[in-house]
Amino acid sequence: MNNLKMAWRNLWRNRRRTLITSASVLFAVFFALFFRSLQLGSYDHMFKNAIESYTGYIQVQQKDYWDEKIVDNTFAYDRQLEQQLLADKNVEAAIPRFESFALASNGPQTKGVLVLGIDPEKENHLSKVSEKMVRYRLDAESISKIGQDPEIPDKVKELARLFEDNAYTNSSRLQLDLGISDKDAPVIMPSIESFTSFENGYIKMGEPGVLVGDKLSQYLQLGIGDTIVLIGQGYHASTAAGKYEIKGIVKIPLPDIDNKIVYLPLDICQGLYNAEGNLTSLALDVVDNRDKAIDETMARIDKIVTGDKRVMGWREMNEVMVSQMDADNKSGMIMIAILYLVIAFGVFGTVLMLTAERKREFGVLVAIGMQKKKLASVMTAEMLLIGLIGMLSGALVATVIILYGVGHPIIFKGSMAKMFEDYGMEPMMAFLGINTYFLWQIFIVALMVLLSIVYPLSKIFKMKVVNALRA
Amino acid sequence: MIWKTAWKNVWRNKIRSLVVIISITIGIFGGVFAVAVMNGAIAQRVDAALNDEISHIHINDPSFRDNYDIQLTLDQPERLLDTIDSTPGVAAVTFRTIITGMANTATKSTGVQIVGIDPEKEKSVFTLYKTTIPGTGSFFDQDSRENLAYIGQDLAKELNIIRYIIDDSVLEALVEKEVPQDVVDKLKGFNGYRFKSEKSFKQEVKNVLSVKEQRDFGSLIREEAWSFRPRSRMTLTFLDKNQVQTGAVFRIAGIYDVRNSMFEMTQVFVRNSDLIPLTGLAPDQFHQAVIRVDDMQAAPDISETLKEKLPGYEVMNWKEIQPDLAMMTDMIEKFYAIFMVIILAALAFGIVNTMLMVVLERTKELGMLTAIGMNKKRVFNMIMMESVFLSIVGGVVGMGISQAVIGITARNGINFTNYQEGLEALGYTSHIYPSISPSFFIMVTVLIIITGILSSIYPALKALKLDPAEALRTE
Repeated sequence: MNNLKMAWRNLWRNRRRTLITSASVLFAVFFALFFRSLQLGSYDHMFKNAIESYTGYIQVQQKDYWDEKIVDNTFAYDRQLEQQLLADKNVEAAIPRFESFALASNGPQTKGVLVLGIDPEKENHLSKVSEKMVRYRLDAESISKIGQDPEIPDKVKELARLFEDNAYTNSSRLQLDLGISDKDAPVIMPSIESFTSFENGYIKMGEPGVLVGDKLSQYLQLGIGDTIVLIGQGYHASTAAGKYEIKGIVKIPLPDIDNKIVYLPLDICQGLYNAEGNLTSLALDVVDNRDKAIDETMARIDKIVTGDKRVMGWREMNEVMVSQMDADNKSGMIMIAILYLVIAFGVFGTVLMLTAERKREFGVLVAIGMQKKKLASVMTAEMLLIGLIGMLSGALVATVIILYGVGHPIIFKGSMAKMFEDYGMEPMMAFLGINTYFLWQIFIVALMVLLSIVYPLSKIFKMKVVNALRA
Repeated sequence: MIWKTAWKNVWRNKIRSLVVIISITIGIFGGVFAVAVMNGAIAQRVDAALNDEISHIHINDPSFRDNYDIQLTLDQPERLLDTIDSTPGVAAVTFRTIITGMANTATKSTGVQIVGIDPEKEKSVFTLYKTTIPGTGSFFDQDSRENLAYIGQDLAKELNIIRYIIDDSVLEALVEKEVPQDVVDKLKGFNGYRFKSEKSFKQEVKNVLSVKEQRDFGSLIREEAWSFRPRSRMTLTFLDKNQVQTGAVFRIAGIYDVRNSMFEMTQVFVRNSDLIPLTGLAPDQFHQAVIRVDDMQAAPDISETLKEKLPGYEVMNWKEIQPDLAMMTDMIEKFYAIFMVIILAALAFGIVNTMLMVVLERTKELGMLTAIGMNKKRVFNMIMMESVFLSIVGGVVGMGISQAVIGITARNGINFTNYQEGLEALGYTSHIYPSISPSFFIMVTVLIIITGILSSIYPALKALKLDPAEALRTE
């Protein structure tokens, strides 16, 4: 206890130096936490998008399906298995899907598309297709109506032209893209909403009809009520061909999927591919989506799923994305490592000065009977306190900003948002709340301090009292 | 004169100065090298995009890019060619036929873009022909009367044209390449096995090998098991000019590797002489003119000139064709600057602390100097000089080391094999050659000097506040 008290008093003998050194630690910890939170938050958001709009956390598939995605590699929709899966405590819903490829065409326009047969009701547990229906659209007609409205400011009109052909699933994104502040919204938004509103329908089991991705509908130049032709390869090399009315347009937040997706009611889709009663996958929605819980759930399900079926987790299904994030994550960590390395040298510099300056004092203390061990522990406590002050204050500042950021992600507006969208990204940056990455900073700062303390400690233990007194 | 004194002062306490200098060296080296790796990756991406994938300027019908309608061919190609040729700065031009269709083999099919080209002219615009994977053929060098197609590696894998096979000859080759016998023995179980896909190959090999064995020999095993059947064929189908389904069998002329999955999966090159007869188009009807210019920086200006000369056509330069790439090249320099500023700010703390120490330690000396008539401005300058010298020495050494390391690594590149799949999906190669422009070093030098000056202000002000009479009396 005494050691700590002495260390604390020593710190404030040279207040300026203590504060500057602590400030350097604060700076590093703050930046590290802030950037980690942004980086990890963005991954989290992207994975959630990919998982929740497409793959789901866990899928049960026929064992060869993932390697060779053909209709022959499907399995019979087994209600008993479904019941068994649902009995697992972490499985909230089992969603049957039939997925395949087809050539979609509208007269001269043709494109390879992803055909997804879904149960429109059950799908609301996971991909929530009904929430991704396009509600507003900035088409040429609505833009000209906006242009003629005298109450709408010119800046909004300009942005509306910039975002021509964009579709929206809710009015808040529309408001942001048009750069309308919350203050002006009650005045302008109602008229804009009415100009841009988009009549959309939905699909139902047993009724032929499709939903198509927004980008795909633009590419094929198809709208609600138009007919789309799908041609593909069905079960046992039969030909799968069908004509369907477009009931609705969806906007999926993954551009790669949005430009090729066609949703069909499950039974209609099975009929198209001559594979009645078969599924390509059962996608599972989970109660607890943390990595550990998912792994445990997969292990349990693995025992239930036997025969020609297998269980796949989201990491394996989103392999490419995981690898991209991993590369990006590593590069972020390297930058933070450089930052910490620089700060570590700063701390070491302080230690060096402390030692040189107090050589004589150390000599006196030892001469009047202080044990070298005790002196060393005082010195260590001093440095740890400097690290602690910097770390705690850095963490505090970062926490305040991060906690605010979690509730208020950075959302880009106007032309900046356009740039992100051109790049195929959602125009927002999310923060990740307090998590294990906080612990890492504590560990790094502690390591940094402990490494820098080696020099003064060896000085103290090697010190010759007579020489030190003369310094 | 004052700078000489300052320089000598820096070396009065060598260890202390060296700690600061080393920390600056490490910070600058880390920052510059990280930037060089990033910059190298981006430069390679831009280079691949401009030389292999899109070139500099495209000219087509204004509506053509909406949905690649086969009927929207270029008007008056003769006159167009004359106009392009007479424009200064244009190095070469090639005409392409572009059709959306499907590529099929016995088991698989996928949507592709069929690009009809004139191989000779194409070589003057694109360097794609240089990326042919050895052993898979060539860029239409064959003298064949069959239809020929030049396809990407990823498409070849998707269509099972490239397969993974482990047989006796593969195992023998691995032994020859000094793969330990026990690793080869583990693979013997696969003898005579044909893997269904790259994924299943990787998965199955992963199951029998340890992590270390995979890391050491994985790529070697993949290389050996990789197999291409010469004279492989595929069928290309599409709708012709009159919306009638048509198609033909094409033999694989060669397989290219540009380390960009999107491009490799979708771009199938065939000779116009093979393609045009199937389409119902006339031999002089093309969809797009692709222009290479002498100086890539001048592309936007040349495309402006062409736009004026060619009303009724859509003329686009590479920045308009790939806005993401343009944004990347335009924005990235700012990002580098911000990154360096953060590092230098962290370094500044160390410098401030050291300089403060310098001032406090020399209280008596500074008091003496002032007492014998050195004016405040000179004291201030001296302290500032010392701080700037510290940062410049560290900075110069750091930049020197960076330059050396960049030079060494740029010779063979750095291979990030672990991230290959993810990087290639974004169009980036995993084999990166770090590079940085000289102007970046100039910017860093300026930033270092500014850091030195800024971090000396507080300690120098402290020195000015000293009262000479008081200072002289301190021990």
